[in-house]
Amino acid sequence: MLIIALAGADSVEAINALIAGSFGGTIAIARTLTFLLPLTLVALGWIVAFSSRRINVGFEGQILMGGVAAAWAGIYLAPHIPFPLQLPFAVLIAVVAGGLYAAIAALLWAWRGVNEIISTLMLNFIATGIVAWLVAGPMQEPTHQFPNSPPVVPSALWPHLLPNSTLTWDVLLAPILVAFTWFVMNRTAAGFLLRLTGSNERAARFAGVSTRLVTVMSLAASGALAGLAGSSLILGAGTGKLAAQFSAGFGFDGIVVALVARNNPLAVLPAAVLFAALRSGSGLMEARAGVSSQLVFITQGLVILLVAGSAFLFEQMALD
Amino acid sequence: MASDLLLEMRGITKAFPGVVANRDIDLAVKPGEVHGLLGENGAGKTTLMKILYGLVQPDQGSIAVRGNPVVIASPRDALRLGIGMVHQHFMLVPDMTVAENIALGLREGRTPLTRLGTVSKRIEALSKQYGFNLEPDDVVGSLSLGRRQRTEILKLLYRGADLLILDEPTAVLTPTESNELFSVLRLLGWQGRSTIFITHKLDELIAVADRCTVLRDGKVVGSLAKAEMDQRAMARMMVGRDVVLRVPRLTLLPGDPVLEATHLSLTAAGRPVLYNLTFAVREREVLGVAGVDGNGQQELVEVLAGLVKPTAGGFTVHGSAAVIPADRHGDAIALSMTLSDNLVMTDIAKGRFRRRGLVRGDEVHRHGRRLLTEYDIRAPHLKVRASAMSGGNQQKVVLARSLYRQPRLLIAAQPTRGLDVGAIEYVYQKILDHKRAGGGTLLISTELDEILSLSDRVAVMVSGRLVAILDIHDVDLEKLGLLMAGVVQGPEPAAAS
Repeated sequence: MLIIALAGADSVEAINALIAGSFGGTIAIARTLTFLLPLTLVALGWIVAFSSRRINVGFEGQILMGGVAAAWAGIYLAPHIPFPLQLPFAVLIAVVAGGLYAAIAALLWAWRGVNEIISTLMLNFIATGIVAWLVAGPMQEPTHQFPNSPPVVPSALWPHLLPNSTLTWDVLLAPILVAFTWFVMNRTAAGFLLRLTGSNERAARFAGVSTRLVTVMSLAASGALAGLAGSSLILGAGTGKLAAQFSAGFGFDGIVVALVARNNPLAVLPAAVLFAALRSGSGLMEARAGVSSQLVFITQGLVILLVAGSAFLFEQMALD
Repeated sequence: MASDLLLEMRGITKAFPGVVANRDIDLAVKPGEVHGLLGENGAGKTTLMKILYGLVQPDQGSIAVRGNPVVIASPRDALRLGIGMVHQHFMLVPDMTVAENIALGLREGRTPLTRLGTVSKRIEALSKQYGFNLEPDDVVGSLSLGRRQRTEILKLLYRGADLLILDEPTAVLTPTESNELFSVLRLLGWQGRSTIFITHKLDELIAVADRCTVLRDGKVVGSLAKAEMDQRAMARMMVGRDVVLRVPRLTLLPGDPVLEATHLSLTAAGRPVLYNLTFAVREREVLGVAGVDGNGQQELVEVLAGLVKPTAGGFTVHGSAAVIPADRHGDAIALSMTLSDNLVMTDIAKGRFRRRGLVRGDEVHRHGRRLLTEYDIRAPHLKVRASAMSGGNQQKVVLARSLYRQPRLLIAAQPTRGLDVGAIEYVYQKILDHKRAGGGTLLISTELDEILSLSDRVAVMVSGRLVAILDIHDVDLEKLGLLMAGVVQGPEPAAAS
């Protein structure tokens, strides 16, 4: 509020616009929910990798590679396979692509000790380059006029959940995958070994765990979740075409969601709703109150600081 | 009368939610006295010292320093009153020199710049005065743990402390370094400076303390003068019952070998750390490996546990094996996970308690309950975090999960490090039970008493070599000490085994 006022605008009006833009009416809510899935998936991906104390900052790249795979399957493969299999197949290929792309960084870490923060970050640039080249070359639409691919076969797209909105059925994957991630981490043997590796790597090795394998798998699973997010950006809410930069920063905003959720999968959903709303409402706020949508980024930053600060306070209180 | 005392704490009471940590505690320290503070884990020693150091405020009670009543609200207040504390984990910056570390936080003169030159001169003087053998320009990270500890002590002396609190100071020291520390404390005593010495180790206390106060369950159970100190009596006061410090010798007829190592060698970073080790552990026997810390013991455990591949030679385990690593927090316990998780982590890694990829929660729970009773692990429930448990209870968790399946081979490295008398006795009993049940044990320890009371044969490790493997009847403390120091060469290991 103070910041909006400092920026010289009517703060009440701005907040109203932000809320109206994110929750005011069916269309606004639908748009907000459209952002929910990629944010949720990336946040879960961060949590899975961080459970083995690895830091994946390559979600942008993994989203892009997942999207490329989904688009390729939806454009070139779908016409040759029966209708009910087209969408599942495209989604599956995207998941595998995202996982394999993250596995590059994971294996470099396991075999050569390459720091995964650096490698995943660098792989983002490579993925951006690959997509830019694809949409201007091998996968460009037939007229060679626009920097995007031809559209995906309509039958391979997610069906709309609400008429006249961008919202598609894939949004239901968000709560499902939150529950699934929580279940895998807390109820399966694989999740147990993952938490053990993250909690005390040496104790895990003394217990006979191949911590290297566990870590590689956690990074690959993290990338697979991002790959799934990529498939949704192509086959779900989007235009159904592959275009440069379609990842739209979800790969980093999702990390913020995970941090706000304090790495708890169950808290990811509410945190993702908050950030989806900020993303969704910023346009209207800019139009109505004349507040730059950049201010939303400042708000996001403030939220992170407050969460980090409160975490620190709680720890201090726990110590006393 | 009261002014004869350097410190007098009266009626100190402190309650935390659910537990009274200190109940009506009196503690008096005379100038120049080395005052031992003895008690099991959780007896209230740490809380009492935190109160004295201003980290915790008492609910009731008073503190007087040199006869004047005082309120100690922070460590800064404590230091102003001449009270300084050396924590178990040193508070030093490894990349800085001794002088820089000591100058940290000092406010001398009016300039914002610290006068390192002046500090260095005083350090040299103090170091010479107490025989510390510290150079102001040495980088702390390059010093041995013993010297780092002296740097901590010097830091407090520099700030004019005349009451030092040492929290388990010998835990990180070699026997020689411990003896040097004791002479320093005596020297300080002659100059009128007092020490409060917190420890579990009775023999050390008897060697160095002028008086000692024993705590149990947050209360003072006794205060003994030097002449009254007696290991057995002190142990009984501490745990409230008789403790078998020396377990009765149990000699059984050894059976087939369960572990055979032949010419086992390991080179790490181009340096040989294990050299040509040949030994065997048989059923119903304990082979003790004695040696000063850092002579290859940790590497030996890592090789035998399968974490590291030997560069030459090999070993065979006949049957199942379980490992108790030396570094409890580093290698054995996942502190952020629950008690239940820690009890089953080895099993789940090996494929037990699973069905179709899922952890069988009900069975894990039943198993956990059973181990809690069987191994006397004290915890409110199974979901308590391992970090909230005492060291003794954590070690019981490691023991329980290692022994419940009755492995043929037990590799126990420093199984009693940091434990109090009651818990040590418990570990000894469990190792003997394992032997009685027909298992073989490789006991790796730097505590010579432990080696001598439990082993049937003793191997001495120096610089990654086994310099001797002797029958227990052929060794005594002195001989062992000389072998460990590398002064005497033992008979060829091959001949003895």
